[in-house]
Amino acid sequence: MTNQNINIDPFTLDIVKDSLIAIGDEMFYALARTSMSPIIYEVLDYASGLTDSKGNLLTQGNGVTGFIGLLTFMVKATLEKFNKEGDLKPGDIIIINDPYMGGGSHLSDVGLVMPIFYQGELVAFSANKAHWTEVGGKDPGSWTTDSTEIYQEGLQFPCVKLFEEGRINQSLVDIIAANVRFPDLSLGDMWAQVAALRTGERRFIELCDKYGKDVVLASIDRLLEHGEQITRKELAKLPKGTFEAVDYIDDDGLGNGPLKVQVKVTITDDKFTCDFTGSHPQVLGPVNTSYAALVSAVRTVFLAITNPSQDVNDGIFRPLEIIAEKGSIFSCERPAAVSTYWETMAYGTDLVWKALAPVVPHRLTAGHLLSVCAVIVAGVHHDTNEPFLIVEPSVGGWGAGQGKDGEAGQFCIGDGETFNVPVEVAETRYGIMVDEYSFRADGAGAGEYRGGSGVIRSYRAMTDNQMLTATFGRHKFLPWGFGGGKDGSRNEFEIIRANGEKVGPLGKCARLPLNKNDVVRLITATGGGYGDPLKRDPEKVAMDVKNEFITVEQAREDYGVIINPETFAVEGFTEERQRREK
Amino acid sequence: MRVATDIGGTFTDLVSVDEQGKITIAKSHTTPPNFEQGVIDVIEKSGINAKEIETFIHGTTVIINALTERKGAKTGLITTKGFRDVLEIARGNRPDLFNIRYQKPAPFVPRYLRREVEERLNYKGEVVTPLNKEQIKDIIDYFKKENVEAIAVAYLHAYANPVHEQQTVEVIKELWPEVAVTASHEVTKEWREYERTSTCVLNSYVKPVASKYVDRLKSRLSEIGVEGHKYIMQSNGGTTTFAQSKVTPINMVESGPVAGVFGAAVLGKIVGEKNIIAFDIGGTTAKCSLIDNGEVKVTTEYKIEKTERTAGYPIKVPVVDIIEIGNGGGSIAWIDDAGSLKVGPQSAGALPGPVAYGRGGTEPTTTDASLITGRLSAKNFDNEVNLDKVKEAINEKVAKHFNMSVDEAALGIIRIANSNMLNALKLISVRRGYDPREFAMVAFGGGGPMHAAALAKELGVSKVIVPVAGSVFSAWGMLMTDLRSDFVQTYIKRFNEVDLDQLNNEWKTIEEEALAQYQNQGIEPDKVIFSRYADMRYLGQEHTVKVPVPNGKMDEETVKEVIRRFHDIHEQHYTFKLEEAQTEIVNLHLVAFGTVKKPELYKLDKVGGNAEEALKEIRPVLYEEEGWINTKVYDRAKLAAEVTIEGPAIVEEQSASTVVYPGQSVTVDHYGNLIIKTGV
Repeated sequence: MTNQNINIDPFTLDIVKDSLIAIGDEMFYALARTSMSPIIYEVLDYASGLTDSKGNLLTQGNGVTGFIGLLTFMVKATLEKFNKEGDLKPGDIIIINDPYMGGGSHLSDVGLVMPIFYQGELVAFSANKAHWTEVGGKDPGSWTTDSTEIYQEGLQFPCVKLFEEGRINQSLVDIIAANVRFPDLSLGDMWAQVAALRTGERRFIELCDKYGKDVVLASIDRLLEHGEQITRKELAKLPKGTFEAVDYIDDDGLGNGPLKVQVKVTITDDKFTCDFTGSHPQVLGPVNTSYAALVSAVRTVFLAITNPSQDVNDGIFRPLEIIAEKGSIFSCERPAAVSTYWETMAYGTDLVWKALAPVVPHRLTAGHLLSVCAVIVAGVHHDTNEPFLIVEPSVGGWGAGQGKDGEAGQFCIGDGETFNVPVEVAETRYGIMVDEYSFRADGAGAGEYRGGSGVIRSYRAMTDNQMLTATFGRHKFLPWGFGGGKDGSRNEFEIIRANGEKVGPLGKCARLPLNKNDVVRLITATGGGYGDPLKRDPEKVAMDVKNEFITVEQAREDYGVIINPETFAVEGFTEERQRREK
Repeated sequence: MRVATDIGGTFTDLVSVDEQGKITIAKSHTTPPNFEQGVIDVIEKSGINAKEIETFIHGTTVIINALTERKGAKTGLITTKGFRDVLEIARGNRPDLFNIRYQKPAPFVPRYLRREVEERLNYKGEVVTPLNKEQIKDIIDYFKKENVEAIAVAYLHAYANPVHEQQTVEVIKELWPEVAVTASHEVTKEWREYERTSTCVLNSYVKPVASKYVDRLKSRLSEIGVEGHKYIMQSNGGTTTFAQSKVTPINMVESGPVAGVFGAAVLGKIVGEKNIIAFDIGGTTAKCSLIDNGEVKVTTEYKIEKTERTAGYPIKVPVVDIIEIGNGGGSIAWIDDAGSLKVGPQSAGALPGPVAYGRGGTEPTTTDASLITGRLSAKNFDNEVNLDKVKEAINEKVAKHFNMSVDEAALGIIRIANSNMLNALKLISVRRGYDPREFAMVAFGGGGPMHAAALAKELGVSKVIVPVAGSVFSAWGMLMTDLRSDFVQTYIKRFNEVDLDQLNNEWKTIEEEALAQYQNQGIEPDKVIFSRYADMRYLGQEHTVKVPVPNGKMDEETVKEVIRRFHDIHEQHYTFKLEEAQTEIVNLHLVAFGTVKKPELYKLDKVGGNAEEALKEIRPVLYEEEGWINTKVYDRAKLAAEVTIEGPAIVEEQSASTVVYPGQSVTVDHYGNLIIKTGV
């Protein structure tokens, strides 16, 4: 694919290539710093990047893994719709969030696409996608666990022009403002997205001014080719064959389930195929995933397996093939509800992970909390009397792996450079107090290497008439251990009413009422273990007890190590462990 | 006489200036683990009479070394009940997105040394649950049993009201006076419990190390007769007293590097440039920082050990905003899996160093490429250079791969290194809304003068200043410092609802605290100068921008002025402003300078004359555009003031080489600085 007829030295091509990547980074940070919504600036629930004129991804800045692949689909949808000469003009910006037509995940993730022209010729696209706190729909925060069709989930933007030749479509802005619950937040995010796109456009044009258009386009080829080469080298190192995994999604939020899902991964010298055929058909509740989101899910684990360090572009994914039946839960069709699609999307990542963990243990670990463990609390602030809205993911335990314990208190694979909301910020801004933010330390996930601890975060409502919506997947099917390691624990939450009455533990709820001094305890999973617990270094077991990650009893029962409860010294081993060591 | 000493990885530098402005420079080896020895050595080597030292200023790496080598004290942490794991949960982020085997940074205090007490404030600083002092006593007993050497106390909302932290420290001091203790509000009064706890823990962790070091240095200096004022360089670009440095040693974390940036700002003032890009290339890294209107930029977003791959540890104390990348003279050139040439971040370091050093290095570095392209002369190395070996390394590791000549490959290495550095320079300038054409570049460190002219031109900077003493510029910068203390207080208020009396009171309280602290250090109020800032944002945003605030009593007019400034700065940084939107203050930031007498600069005796008197040789140099050109090489020490040389030219001094490209020119100013016109 190299542009042979342009003779450019390799260093210039690489310098331009690096400049393209730097543009992606700059667009990314511009968006975070100007955003109005915690979901963007703390959770970094957005992505931005550049594609070539055909929609091939060149560079993408990511805050979360979940968007890796969506930008390409958005641009391709734009090219399909505006397919006639002159349909796209300099200064145009397209808005799109339709989950079925390209780049869609759920309606809250709003994409903007800007064509970049150089001397009248379409040369590239600048694109981004960000989670708006509000896009309207039946429930505050827009996503919910009990919608049954897309029309309940908010405003749909079917790939239309937000800007025409630099002029904003004010009618569209007015419609948005009238249909969302916090228009300042949503429109503030929209402006931050626009600013980031324009930054990308400006930098790309500067690059063309400096090096000439032909050099930049040749560098784009070099960039894509570079990515493909790196992947193919890594692919060659992987074991060849077919690997399968099966798992179950708890339910669809409306009581239907468990839902069987499965994958068959086939690795050959030049292809990496993930076939999800046989997985459950799409369901009534909002856990359906679009094909575009499935692609993102698989790309994430594909990168983890091939080379977790590389810059991301479409060249890297050329050897990857993803198959899912239309109308299945992994490739749903209109008007399937999708607002908590990520509960299913995560299984796209986890199934491939689980199928391959035994054969690439140097890159993969045991199963982790998997679910975003997303929470919405809405109500009125106790001092300002202003409405507040918490929309946030939760941290939990990761799986152990060859030579390492699992990490404790981290966001799931679908998140990434995601930050929890500090207690001091939460208590200032929201009508709650936090009673506890600590490790779960339940001792689950025993192994030669131990699963990382889950976390407990407790919200105390400070006013009446608040409401809670939450979705904690992996509530019924545990994070898996492997290589002799035990499974982790489940995600769950419970409500302790002011009068002491307990509701739960639950995995999902929608609009559950909370009154003053009711406490919501959000409890996330401890990750799966790796290797035989009876082989764990006894000194590590002793420290686990001293650090109160496991009890003296668990040290004996699970690890076969007898620990003095006062001094935490190793005093001996159980018969089972001694037998095993012989 | 004013003397500055700066401890670096390899050398301890000294720069002194006497009453006439005459500068003396000395270098001596750094002497770990007893770093004070190197300081004494370099003073002796310089030939300075210790008794004549009126002011002694010191930059040290002792703190950052103790942190990165994990050689601090065994530290225990006391937190609010329910929150001991905040230090380990941290923020839950994973910068290495696709790495399933990511390892989050291990906490400096393990779980069994993190203990909780009953106490609670709400976000307004009101007591919800009183402090249970009995539990503190139990914790102290436990910590003693575990041989804890330092304690950190970090409670929720202590930035709003430190009362429980203060009471806890009182109990500890009463029961265990010899243990080192830090309460979070003593190091930062900003919200966000993880960041404040981390800062507090790290301060306690290094406190015993810092005390021992400062005490030893003080007594060694006394022994040789240094009786004058003694100050230590802090990360905020100012100094503090030895005594204060032992209380909050975490303020010394970037003690050395920031002094060079500060020096660039001072030099800028002297030569009449307010807007400066400070650019420093050392052996393993390049650092840059932007000085806007004469002011060094200070932030509290600093983290140690943070990379693109790992989250690092936050330290929320004021640190000069520096971008650092792994590109220095020793950076290694290599070919990646897909066949692209890369330079750095791996470095050959001091040992074995570049191939040209002849100490066993086999990997080609930027320095080797500079030698092959004629930018450096083999004669300027301490050792006998084996040029064939250098060529061989570049040929084997780079040229062969691309099927090109050694010369082309060497130039390629320089171009890729420049491209890396250019991206860092853009990061601090254009990407933050500054136009580089309005800036001058001050280039220092061993490699700064060699790369600056090309990079400045590329960036659109028209003037490059290569200072005198450029290779010991951090120490030079220290000579020019005042005492500086930063007070950052979280104070969340919407600007349209702000109670002006309360706000004025808040400023007054902070200023009184600053004056009292200086009074304790023997600095009179008339020597103290205040600069006020507010960290502001639009309501609903998270990130703030720093806005200068006028001194004195604030009224309706000044509030309007501050809001206007905020809109402008926001637009400059982020391309838009929302004039209808509400604005909010998050922090009040007071900078208090304790001003001290500064030296005059010495002017060159010799003015005018002929540059050719300083001509050393003519040698071929390879340029990116023009190819090989026979280039005149001058001896910097022999150049007189006002002499102008047209490029291409090279100006050599003992430890640096300034490259002037064709179409550029260089002039020597009256202080001996080289001023390059880059031709843009």
